[in-house]
Amino acid sequence: MRPSAPLLSVRELSLTHADAAHPSPRDVTFDIHPGEVVLLLGPSGSGKSTLTLALNGLIPHALPATMVGTVTAGGIDTAAAQPATLSTHVAMVFQDPDAQIVTGTVYDEVAFGPENLLLPLDVVQGRVEAALRRVGLWDRRDENPDHLSGGGRQRLAIACALAMGSPLIVLDEPTANLDPQGIDDVYAALADVVAAGDRAILLVEHNLDAAMDFVTRTLVLDRDGTVVFDGPAAEIMRGHAAELVAMGVWLPAATLAALRLREHGHSLEPLPLTPEQLAEGLEREDVSPRSARSTTGEHDPSSSGPQPPSSSAEHSDETKRPAGPIIRARGLTVRRRRTEILHGIDLDLEPGSLTAIVGTNGAGKTTLIQALAGVVPPPRGQVLVDGIDPGIASPRDLAARIGFVFQNPEHQFIAHTVFDELAHGLRLRHVPDAEINARVEEMLARFGLEHKADVHPFLLSGGEKRRLSVGTALITRPRVLALDEPTFGQDRARAAELLDLLQNLRAEGTTIVIVTHDLQLVAEHSTHVVLLADGRVRAAGPTASLFRDQQLFADAGLRMPALQRVLASAGLEAMR
Amino acid sequence: MSAEVTGSSTRSAATAAGGRAFDPYARMTATSPRQFLYALNPLAKVAGFAPAMVLLVFVRDLATPAAFLVLAYGLLLVGARLTRRVLALLLLGLPAGMLLITVGFSLWVDAGLVDGSTPVVRIGDWTLYSGALVIGSATALRLGSIMALALIGGLTTSGPDLVRASVQQLRVPYRVGYTALAAFRFVPRFGHELAVIRAAHRVRGYHGGRGPFARIARGWGYIVPLLAGAIRHAERVALAMDSRAFGAHPTRTERHLVPFRVRDMVFTLTTLLASAAIFVAFFPWQLP
Amino acid sequence: MARTPVLSTRVLLICAAIGVATGILAGIAGWVTPVLLASPLLFLYGLVLGSHVLPGIIAQEVLRLPLVALITHVFAALIATAFNPAWALRFIGTALLFGLIQEGVAALTRYRSWGPWRFFLSAAVIGVVVAVVVFFAAHLAVMPVWAQILYLAISVLGPIAWTAVGLAIGTALRKAGVARR
Ligand SMILES: Nc1ncnc2c1ncn2[C@@H]1O[C@H](COP(=O)(O)OP(=O)(O)OP(=O)(O)O)[C@@H](O)[C@H]1O
Ligand SMILES: Nc1ncnc2c1ncn2[C@@H]1O[C@H](COP(=O)(O)OP(=O)(O)OP(=O)(O)O)[C@@H](O)[C@H]1O
Ligand SMILES: [Mg+2]
Ligand SMILES: [Mg+2]
Repeated sequence: MRPSAPLLSVRELSLTHADAAHPSPRDVTFDIHPGEVVLLLGPSGSGKSTLTLALNGLIPHALPATMVGTVTAGGIDTAAAQPATLSTHVAMVFQDPDAQIVTGTVYDEVAFGPENLLLPLDVVQGRVEAALRRVGLWDRRDENPDHLSGGGRQRLAIACALAMGSPLIVLDEPTANLDPQGIDDVYAALADVVAAGDRAILLVEHNLDAAMDFVTRTLVLDRDGTVVFDGPAAEIMRGHAAELVAMGVWLPAATLAALRLREHGHSLEPLPLTPEQLAEGLEREDVSPRSARSTTGEHDPSSSGPQPPSSSAEHSDETKRPAGPIIRARGLTVRRRRTEILHGIDLDLEPGSLTAIVGTNGAGKTTLIQALAGVVPPPRGQVLVDGIDPGIASPRDLAARIGFVFQNPEHQFIAHTVFDELAHGLRLRHVPDAEINARVEEMLARFGLEHKADVHPFLLSGGEKRRLSVGTALITRPRVLALDEPTFGQDRARAAELLDLLQNLRAEGTTIVIVTHDLQLVAEHSTHVVLLADGRVRAAGPTASLFRDQQLFADAGLRMPALQRVLASAGLEAMR
Repeated sequence: MSAEVTGSSTRSAATAAGGRAFDPYARMTATSPRQFLYALNPLAKVAGFAPAMVLLVFVRDLATPAAFLVLAYGLLLVGARLTRRVLALLLLGLPAGMLLITVGFSLWVDAGLVDGSTPVVRIGDWTLYSGALVIGSATALRLGSIMALALIGGLTTSGPDLVRASVQQLRVPYRVGYTALAAFRFVPRFGHELAVIRAAHRVRGYHGGRGPFARIARGWGYIVPLLAGAIRHAERVALAMDSRAFGAHPTRTERHLVPFRVRDMVFTLTTLLASAAIFVAFFPWQLP
Repeated sequence: MARTPVLSTRVLLICAAIGVATGILAGIAGWVTPVLLASPLLFLYGLVLGSHVLPGIIAQEVLRLPLVALITHVFAALIATAFNPAWALRFIGTALLFGLIQEGVAALTRYRSWGPWRFFLSAAVIGVVVAVVVFFAAHLAVMPVWAQILYLAISVLGPIAWTAVGLAIGTALRKAGVARR
């Protein structure tokens, strides 16, 4: 039917990791032809990443997994050729830009692949120049890749893939670690690559909003890793939206918003896939229903309003204190190596709120949350958390008041079993053994880790590690929980799981502070926002009122998610 | 193999924060034509002085190491870029170290061997003889000259160039060489990871307390998270390199040639001859 | 033409990671050395030099493959040299020497036995070699006999003690499920 031979053909492929019980993906068959842009969708754990690793032979050659069925890339059976040979047919871009860089300059980096292919010098140079120009990095070719932004480094990884000369490029969540500007840059580069028409792309992506514009086809795996849908992207998403949501597959934020609007009796036909389509749909029918915003679940955090802490006796070992801000900063000024990073921050955070600190890279978010939590002690007298000054408090007192969850959970694990990990904070405070057991058991049950009590914390899955790190921070029952980029590098499903957890904690009266780049998440889950720019508070207040003012975000160098812009312009922002 | 949580944004902050951070890729280049050491092949600088450095270990007199020290200083002061750091190292650090070793070592010398020489210091019934100081300064000069000779190559060669020369001239397999190049990238990353791990453990009140033992216990706690993170990162980098044809062929195209030219040959031969001349002139192995 | 290389890229890079971590330590040891030689604690030099066994021990314990000790040693030496160029030759020399001894002992068991005794055997061999080299380099002959004996004993014990440390690290990493295969 198609004139050209497929670039890739996968036949009855099942992949099983060395220590996994079931194959995922399972029995997958598909072809990819030149010019196609295929979006691979599926719930977390369905085997999307595993599948991509088999396409250039990393499975079975470099990774311990068993492979049944065949993959043929550019006419070569991957089981019979090394990834190095297959790299001219299938190029890869991975999630973490840092883990893909091996040399000292942008130019050397792109040349690395062609040099390995033993191409003549002038061919290498030609390819490097073409690839760097396509992603807009030619002018920065002599720089150290470290000096590029996250988005810049990911564009560099795409240039490296282009320079391999392979007609198929496979990208596994290429934008999961990037801020909004970086995401835009990457998709602009990809759109340019596709426009030439000579390459095909297979894309795994959770953040569909940016990708929807140029995807031509979608392939959906279900929880067991079998292909359930395969066809034009728009058709599948419109035709099977309900099934996809039920499977736990992410849809574009605009589509999810439209589905919620439909529940309130709006037709919105055809189902919008992009914010622009949603805007058109909204224009056609004059709507102002409730809760179109949330794309992660039923939560509407502000519907109940900031609550006073329930039973403070339960949540602190201290007696009740008068109402008022639980975290207070006055003139907080932080220096690192002689440069002043935070300039006189004044901040009041209410008990029971979920505050998101947002800002561009380098705005000082991490510095601020670490100073508030005493991770790096602030100058004395400038911060008060639940009645104590983190500038002078001992780690033990601090841990009783405020729990801090680091970006990478492994950094904060110190014991050899999950149980000891949780018990650590209590043992330090000389809690009697019987009570330790009771409290740890309770925490294990709450986070679904009962059967893992004796496992080494490093052997847990990513989601379990994250829950355990939150558990260790909570076990001393602090009234404040601070998290630095808790969703960084996680897929949206795990992010949603974590946010549900935070919502529950907030409902019990814990005050929560998070740093994040994900403004969609901020819009859906936070009660308050602190907007930081150049080490100063640009704005602070309830999320709903802040999100009403787009200019505020623009001034701070951020852009509101497209969906929020559409909803705002349709007058839907007042419903919170 | 999904990349769970990685440190790209934290790391970028660290890079920006680092100021003059460790940059193994920084080009080492001359700023004036007299600084000829930078233009030499790294192996020429190693081969020229390696025999002398090995032989110096077995030398016992003062003159031989002193002569090598003068030679090394002469080459460095003429042929290397004299930044403030280099000058401090050459004119303060190394001499101070040698002085300390002279004194420190002379305290250990068996008094029975040197009690024929003049006493210099007398405290109670303990005497420091000038003979002991001579032996001490011989040791200091020996170590000092070996280090100064190593600095000739060390201060004027970048790690990547040494690796490239090893691949191009010594036929070290390029897969090993380029893995070493990738390894240089790990250094700043580990530094930042360690800082974060330390903060995380401190917050959790892990092994508070002062003193060397508490410090060792704390340090032990950092090792597993640090190495585990490092190894996982390394595994991801390996996948990325495999995907870019690393090891596809027995050799690869070289854009950065680090040739071994006539001038390198001249340098190596000259330094070998100079070393031999010094050893012959002072012949340090006369039997007493 | 599916060539399967002796050491996969993954193994090489794991060696590099271990080499970088231990190389930074060796760089620190390089700075400590002159200070130590000038101090009355001179006789502890064997303990410092012994720390150079770590790269090979951790690599062998984690990976249990041929050649990994030698390669990790070389990576560690390169990194240490970048930090501390004055000791370049010493770093590379000890790397090759220690690496070859550790590989040699592992090769004698044909890379089948990885029990602790095997690591301590290589440590003892290294200790003896270190003692002899140190005897010349530090001009021990001029010292009182008791100091010579102490010095040599510590030179032998240093590598053994650090081997125990390396084994403990390697075991902890295995327990944490790192680099399992
Ligand atoms: N290195 C590994 N060892 C053992 N099992 C693994 C490994 N990596 C993944 N798995 C398992 O294989 C299955 C598929 O994982 P995979 O990472 O491919 O899913 P995914 O669809 O990419 O998920 P996500 O959306 O979370 O990235 C999961 O059950 C996972 O737990
Ligand atoms: N230890 C340090 N020494 C010097 N400067 C530092 C240090 N830590 C941070 N900085 C600088 O302070 C500024 C704010 O850093 P911070 O990490 O707080 O930003 P951020 O808002 O968290 O950024 P990102 O979004 O990249 O995480 C940056 O310019 C950073 O380079
Ligand atoms: Mg995945
Ligand atoms: Mg930050």
